[in-house]
Amino acid sequence: MQSANMLLRKIVRCSVLPFAAQHGMKKDLFPLSRTLSLSLCLKQEKSCEPSEKLDLDEWKKVMKSGLQEEVSETVSEPKELSSLAAARETLEMWRLAGRAVPENISEEQLKTFTECPSKSAKKKYLKYLHLKELQKKNDKRKMDEKRKRRLEAQDQASKTDETKKNSFVCMWSSTMDKAYNWRAAQSMIFGQPLVFDMSYEKEMSVREVANTVRQIVLSESCNRRSVDPFHIHFCNFKDDSLYHREFIKQYREAWGKLLITVTDQCYTEIFPKDKLIYLTADSPKVMKTFDHDKIYIVGSMVDRSIKTGVSLARAKRLGLESAALPLEKYLLWSTGAKNLTLDQMMHILLTLKDTADWKKALEFVPKRKYCGFVNKPVKELKKTLDLINTLKLGKGREVQKQFAKSYPKKHKLKQK
Amino acid sequence: VQPPEKPLLAEEWNKLREDFQSPEIFEEVMLNSMIRCNSPIDVAKSLLTHLAKRNGDVAYNVLVKYLTLCVQQGQVSEIRDVYDIMKFRFKILESGAYNLLIKGLSNSDQWRMALTLLEEVKKIMIPSRTCYESCIKAASRHQEMKLAFELYDEMVAKDVVPTLNVLQSFFDFSRGMKDAELQNELFGILLYLRENQIYPHKTFMRSIKLWFESIPGGNWRGHLTNIKDSGQCPVCNHQLEDSNLTEEEYSNLSERIIRDVIHGTDTFRKTSPQEFEAFQTFVENRLPFDIVIDGLNVSHIKTRRMQCENLFDAVNCLAKENARLLVLGRKHMLMNSSNWKREIMKEMQNKADFFFAENISEDDAFLLYATLRSGKHCKFVTRDFLRDHKACLPDNLTRHLFRKWQRGHQIVFSSVFSQQPAFRYDCVVQTTGDTWHIPYKDVFEEKYSYQVPRKWLCIQQK
Repeated sequence: MQSANMLLRKIVRCSVLPFAAQHGMKKDLFPLSRTLSLSLCLKQEKSCEPSEKLDLDEWKKVMKSGLQEEVSETVSEPKELSSLAAARETLEMWRLAGRAVPENISEEQLKTFTECPSKSAKKKYLKYLHLKELQKKNDKRKMDEKRKRRLEAQDQASKTDETKKNSFVCMWSSTMDKAYNWRAAQSMIFGQPLVFDMSYEKEMSVREVANTVRQIVLSESCNRRSVDPFHIHFCNFKDDSLYHREFIKQYREAWGKLLITVTDQCYTEIFPKDKLIYLTADSPKVMKTFDHDKIYIVGSMVDRSIKTGVSLARAKRLGLESAALPLEKYLLWSTGAKNLTLDQMMHILLTLKDTADWKKALEFVPKRKYCGFVNKPVKELKKTLDLINTLKLGKGREVQKQFAKSYPKKHKLKQK
Repeated sequence: VQPPEKPLLAEEWNKLREDFQSPEIFEEVMLNSMIRCNSPIDVAKSLLTHLAKRNGDVAYNVLVKYLTLCVQQGQVSEIRDVYDIMKFRFKILESGAYNLLIKGLSNSDQWRMALTLLEEVKKIMIPSRTCYESCIKAASRHQEMKLAFELYDEMVAKDVVPTLNVLQSFFDFSRGMKDAELQNELFGILLYLRENQIYPHKTFMRSIKLWFESIPGGNWRGHLTNIKDSGQCPVCNHQLEDSNLTEEEYSNLSERIIRDVIHGTDTFRKTSPQEFEAFQTFVENRLPFDIVIDGLNVSHIKTRRMQCENLFDAVNCLAKENARLLVLGRKHMLMNSSNWKREIMKEMQNKADFFFAENISEDDAFLLYATLRSGKHCKFVTRDFLRDHKACLPDNLTRHLFRKWQRGHQIVFSSVFSQQPAFRYDCVVQTTGDTWHIPYKDVFEEKYSYQVPRKWLCIQQK
């Protein structure tokens, strides 16, 4: 559009085809003309052109010139707006001002927006919607490109027209599904139970519940695909809870056909207490080995605001044993909270179950959270870490001297 | 990009734009740098004219940027023009533009228009504190103190927190006025400082002092001073309010701490009901204590020494004068280890009562409970700021009570075992009617929340 404008302007400026530009060509060149006042300003530009003098307030005339036309359009609208409509208007203005605001917003989202308790909550919610929208757009674009490429490839293939011969009928995915389901069904009879504790709804916001369910869906799918799946139990699961509604949103009709056990009973009612181990990052006990006779419990909770001790409190209340993953022992931790997502937990537990190899299992901890695996004994590493810390803080002259002695030339230290 | 010094012609703008690496955002970037360099407004105008000619329209965000430049240079007529244009083009504006318009107009002789704009903002949202600030300042600059206070009351009622700047402007512009009602309003602001435990900074303090001294026939005199540790003002010999809470406040606070800090949403998060009950009976049987010590916290004072030695020193230091001590610790301290020698622990247990919590329980909550149960005279020892416990309290009022109680009852050991005593007097704005004592921050910057200003303004009526 802009380049079309430029082109047109050049043509006008050359004034070879002024008449054509104004009458005949205009329509063709501006099929989507978004500014009503364009023709007007073009005329003005032309009139002041030869003198080449600069009218600094001319933009105001241009801006106001569109007014008459637009006013006639808006006159019919009622002056007072309902609160939702007003919110929509505000959003539109924010979008024009270049803030992170979604282009399209549904009535439901708009309602959630108006119900946000504070300005910053509103801002955050809008940014979330904005990013979601961007992602959707990107996905759609990629899909379209893919489809285009596939069509082209098909075109080419149909030209050569060569039928492949193969002894298998091509129906990979459904065959695989059958095999997976067979395994999952077996796990329901013979498999080691793994419990998801669904009693955290009160502790979470709506978005956190949605995230939790999404993570559980991922965990369930990777469990189904594994060689020796767990028998998944959803305990303390209330019908028509927020969890339930989110699960139906994610799984749709597949929700009824999942090969897992869903119950509103507590795990202590189903399993003997001495076999249960509650996995929580707050636990003082560290897990040493994966025990194939125990039943591990994972709290279905996404905890964005770091509420310490919530799941440990559950274990304490019921008198259950608890354990944390030995993250410190095997990983040189750098940043981030020690609580992992549910699907990461599932990956780790599955790997442990199959291989009993901590190093392999802890590969599933996100890379950004640790610097590397511990290869030396922990004590030695701690010493070096302490040394680094004291040097950083700039105190402990003696340590500096010691350090300088043992590493004389390699490291130059800044002496204050 | 460097903005040009003189207005440019369309061709020149075009050339600049084409040379720029991403032409789509050229105007925005250019206007931003104009704002930064405070370029002449004509340059910006020429850019807008060029834009209008090319696109037949000037985008909203560009208009807002231009408006920023106008406000920055106080170009009132331009601000009005931009407002007219915006009004023509858009049904409503967003908060950024309103903020700018109000700020720009309130500094001019057309400040009343800023007030009408404020009314307009109120229809669609809660105005920001800067909007109120501009309007209040404009009103008080024109001696319309009544209007200014109306706006102030309105913003406080809407939970918009006023800036210190606004509060200061009230004192600045009321100087020398004799008006009983106005005086009461300003005393009200001082009480607002008291209630919210806000300390004015040095310049604000000076405004307060000057206002007091300017009241015709008031005979107020202000002096800057430091309060003695005893809580006596050296200028007027007045004894400041002590840091003790009233009975009602005290029982209120202990109730809240038990309910919100120790139990919270789930007693099991910090302790367990059995353990808490055991602790309660333990404390009730031995009440009252004089000093409650956070054993683990104190044991980390000197890192080179054994932890039990640190604790031993602290207990010895505090055990004088038959004070009844309670040391809170965790069970692991009873295991004979390199840091915790059994003999030393035995010896300490002769001098003080000990309670050992489970290793996974939080001993701080017990510390608060034991101190509060022992009564108003009881102090506690820890280097912890207890911020996480303060955060568990749900409302501001209780948090202020907690801070006040903490200031009066916490003893802090620094690494050389010099005690930093608890404050005997309360560090807030206070009055007796014919005297005012106002603590103030020496520097303009924020102080740490745990610090309390040591400098005071003493105002007395002769």
